[in-house]
Amino acid sequence: MIAFWIAAALMTAAACLAVIWPFLRPQPSLEAGHDVEIYRDQLSEIDRDMMRGAISPAEADEAKTEISRRILRAAEDRATGPEHADGKLTRVVASLAILLVPVLGLGGYLYLGSPAMPDQALAVRLEANPSTNTIDELIARAERHLVENPQDGRGWDVLAPIYLRVGRAEDAVIAFRNTISLNGSNAAREAGLGDALFRVAGNVVTAESREAFERALGYDGADPKARFFLALALAQQGDTASAAERWRALSDDLPQDSPWRGTIVQALERVREAPAPQPGSGPTAEEIEASADMTQEDRAAMIEGMVAQLAERMRDNPDDAAGWQRLIRSYSVLGRADDARAALQSGVEGLGAESSAAQELIGFAAGLGIELPESR
Amino acid sequence: MTVEIGHFALVLAFALAVVQATVPMLGARLGNARLMAIAAPTAMAGFALVTLSFGSLVAAYVASDFSVANVWQNSHSLKPMLYKVTGTWGNHEGSMLLWVLILVLFGALVAMFSSNLPATLRANVIAVQGWIGAAFLLFILATSNPFVRLDPAPIEGRDLNPILQDIGLAVHPPLLYLGYVGFSISFSFAVAALIEGRIDAAWARWVRPWVLAAWIFLTGGIAMGSYWAYYELGWGGFWFWDPVENASFMPWLAGTALLHSALVMERRSALKIWTVLLAILTFSLSLLGTFLVRSGVLTSVHAFATDPARGVFILIILGIFIGGALTLFALRASELKAGGFFQPISREGALVLNNLFLSTATATVLIGTLYPLVIEALTGDKISVGAPFFNLTFGLLMVPLLLIVPFGPLLAWKRGDLSAVSQRLFAAFGVGLAVALVSLVFIDRVSVFAALGCGVAAWLVAGSVTDLAFKSGYPKVGAAIALRRLAGLPGASFGTVFAHAGLGVTLLGLVSVTALEVEKFVTMKPGETLDVAGRVLTFDGMTPLRGANFVEDQARFSIAGADGKSLGEIVSSKRVYTARRMPTTEAGIRTFGFSQLYVSIGDPTEDGGIVVRAWWKPNVTLIWLGAVVMMVGGVFSLADRRLRIGAPAARRRQSERPA
Amino acid sequence: MTRKQKRLTVIVSGLAFLAAAAALTFYALGQRTSYFYMPADLEAANLAPGERFRLGGLVATGSIERGQGLNVRFAVTDHEQTVNVRYSGILPDLFREEQGVVTEGAFDENRVFVADSVLAKHDETYMPREVADALKEKGVWQEEE
Repeated sequence: MIAFWIAAALMTAAACLAVIWPFLRPQPSLEAGHDVEIYRDQLSEIDRDMMRGAISPAEADEAKTEISRRILRAAEDRATGPEHADGKLTRVVASLAILLVPVLGLGGYLYLGSPAMPDQALAVRLEANPSTNTIDELIARAERHLVENPQDGRGWDVLAPIYLRVGRAEDAVIAFRNTISLNGSNAAREAGLGDALFRVAGNVVTAESREAFERALGYDGADPKARFFLALALAQQGDTASAAERWRALSDDLPQDSPWRGTIVQALERVREAPAPQPGSGPTAEEIEASADMTQEDRAAMIEGMVAQLAERMRDNPDDAAGWQRLIRSYSVLGRADDARAALQSGVEGLGAESSAAQELIGFAAGLGIELPESR
Repeated sequence: MTVEIGHFALVLAFALAVVQATVPMLGARLGNARLMAIAAPTAMAGFALVTLSFGSLVAAYVASDFSVANVWQNSHSLKPMLYKVTGTWGNHEGSMLLWVLILVLFGALVAMFSSNLPATLRANVIAVQGWIGAAFLLFILATSNPFVRLDPAPIEGRDLNPILQDIGLAVHPPLLYLGYVGFSISFSFAVAALIEGRIDAAWARWVRPWVLAAWIFLTGGIAMGSYWAYYELGWGGFWFWDPVENASFMPWLAGTALLHSALVMERRSALKIWTVLLAILTFSLSLLGTFLVRSGVLTSVHAFATDPARGVFILIILGIFIGGALTLFALRASELKAGGFFQPISREGALVLNNLFLSTATATVLIGTLYPLVIEALTGDKISVGAPFFNLTFGLLMVPLLLIVPFGPLLAWKRGDLSAVSQRLFAAFGVGLAVALVSLVFIDRVSVFAALGCGVAAWLVAGSVTDLAFKSGYPKVGAAIALRRLAGLPGASFGTVFAHAGLGVTLLGLVSVTALEVEKFVTMKPGETLDVAGRVLTFDGMTPLRGANFVEDQARFSIAGADGKSLGEIVSSKRVYTARRMPTTEAGIRTFGFSQLYVSIGDPTEDGGIVVRAWWKPNVTLIWLGAVVMMVGGVFSLADRRLRIGAPAARRRQSERPA
Repeated sequence: MTRKQKRLTVIVSGLAFLAAAAALTFYALGQRTSYFYMPADLEAANLAPGERFRLGGLVATGSIERGQGLNVRFAVTDHEQTVNVRYSGILPDLFREEQGVVTEGAFDENRVFVADSVLAKHDETYMPREVADALKEKGVWQEEE
């Protein structure tokens, strides 16, 4: 800060010096009529050209005559040069100019600049004491390290779960894959990969994700994360009873203080009760957004719960075409194709098979790859 | 601190530019030597400050200081170092700062080397430069400040547009700006001459080297930009008559005319008023180009992110400078003494014809570029004026110009002998005719256009050689003496020859590609082959690769000649830049002699193949090589000692100085 | 010829040249320019098959169909009217659904627009200016940021 102001003062002084400079030197002379010199130069040039044979002597003579004529004309103009004057006005103008530079410079800068703000070169920020770094800076630091040392298995191992925690699921998938290939597979890494894949897929336990959890169980049959998600996979396929059974079994195996216990209780409640205080409409964008702050278990359960609410509501209001569309899309997104087909059938029946709304619904479902079961 | 020092330097430079713009002009008015003498040191100090400012912005880019909003928007910590540096001017704010840096550089150069200019002219010229500098510094500070800070600073930048992550960005904009802004010198000289109400021989002597330097840079900038678009955009095109391209082409055309008319003025004191007008118009067209590129008023395939507020600001600057200069011209032009009469058939006459054609061509391009704006303003209809319009009008205007080019340098000043010159050019004409016939019979029997085009190109080159031969006195003296004389010829003679021959070379490239290009457009599966004008491409398959900040799928093709001999490999790829998730196509180009094989891939097809577009572009590199030859001509001319001396040596004046 | 007559000849031929150049320019402007339309403007414009113009709008969602080899079909929409477009060639890198495009070509007999060029800009946030203006008028699209 101090250094900056010293530098700024020096620069301002230098700029002012440029303005005062002419006043510190002897009075410069004023001259006009450079034309004559130039014409003389041209005359000697013609001589040179002639010597070299570039132009004939006759041409040269003609050119010389021409230039001589111009010299005469220029000499006439020469008499009228500007006069010297160094009066009061000069001093006023010069003082104003010297004043203007610091005033406009400093004033403008104070209005526009941020003098108190230090440079923040990335390398410097990252080398600072880790305890003062933000989580983002720590991640960036680790990333930079891994760009230079991509074979550093330990780095990937540390970074992968952090990615998962800050919600960078795609990067987490890459990181888990790297740590698995560099450090070998184990239960925690496979379960982490499964979790990352689950989030990338929009909180759906995809086949790929399930395989990862199954591999994790292969290393450690008791791994709570893998067990939880495999149960969730069942729930997402519609088999809530088996899912609940597995969750309960998992809960019994866990120690009293395990953080998973609470998660399981919530998941069980969501699946079993599906309480419907307000008319369900399927998960809205905002709700999914909001669910980003929850744990993934909560989130999945919330979405499942809302879809269940929506299904319930459609049973009561079968003539709501938009509602059927939402329900079919929700099932389709969750990978529950059979439920989607069933919903489509119920919807078509509810809206009246011949109605245009039903046709539209069939078209809508076809866009998602869902067709009526008996359409063949 | 570096960043803030840069910011402070920029504001200070603005304050200094205001002083530079006003005080010396007042001094010239009052005839006060001290006030006038403020011009040079302020111009040099201003240059130092803007350099400091630009340097600190570059430093922020190099250090990935994302607390600077401009760096955050246009850089990425993983970008290769070259693109971190060039990214400084790969965006509106940074490129504007580069523009001003070059402007003040020219101002400082004038200040440094003009000590032998008449004092009032010098003061006025530097003051006008100060006006331009102040206007654009204010523009930067008010609407496009590259030093805006972010707090807290983001941890990663948004990366530079992948299209710009190319060596082309390191070369094209600086060259182009050196050209654009270089014309500000002739503008300042013209305005200064109008303010003084007199124009003398020193004026033309001084202006010509600056115009020449600007012209060399602009030629290079346009050629580089054209080649960049050619290889980077993957369309195989090198000129689209796009508004942004026209924006750089119009000052070039006007600058070329200015170069020639300044010649007449320097040698013969004729065309004074016209030269002054042309100097004003050339820089006005540069400003107009800046406005068109940055305001977004015209649709263009390659423009900066645009902002209407900036457009309005530049439009005001444009109005003040162009309007002001033209008003001054209207008021004062009649006071400038005309001089030097000449016969229509003479070197001057030929140069006037050159100016007539070039300025008409400039007007045509200007009308074509602005017509959509006018129509939209008048009727609300949205129209576009594209290549067909420009090819027709501009092309037709260029044909007679190209035909008369070889006559010009051979005609004598003041009074020329057309029939004598025609006799001298007989051999060149024969060469042109022969080339036309040969290309019609042996290369392409269909296209008369191509044959004539090749003939004209040969005529230009042969005409230039003829000029050189006669200047060294060839038929009169023996070959040995002529050769010796050749070495002694002034640089400017070589300048003319190279510039005109380069035009022929470029024309040959243009005609060859336009008439004889072979284009193939197919889908290919691995193992399939494609014959492109006698070269057989075999698609070897796709390879995924990972770059520093992108991933790509490379399509590899092996090339074989008609005889089955391997000619190497060509690689075209589809890239996705990870930070912006933006896809680009990288064309594969192999050069054979002056011709090129150009391969660009499209999307994969459902049956496992890819879309392939391949061109055989005969003599395509000549288009740009011709521009290089023109630039070499310019350098020869610039290096001519007779041009560099603005006035006779200073010592003679010192002896005249009152003690 | 006297000096005056000579000068007059030069001036007259210069003016004749300029007049010819101007005539050429305006002839070419009349013949070689193409109008820009959005799909909803086409009814009023009443264009004959084969008449060249530029068509701008957004690429309709789900309309991109890649056919045999290089042929592509898609639809350009302004969310009022939609026009089917046929094109044979490589699409720009940034050609995507709901992205602005400008295509140039003419209608065939079946009112399918046969495009010979498709332009999208090489910047991911780009919206061609005409398209942006027209869509803003219709309130379909808002500028980002």
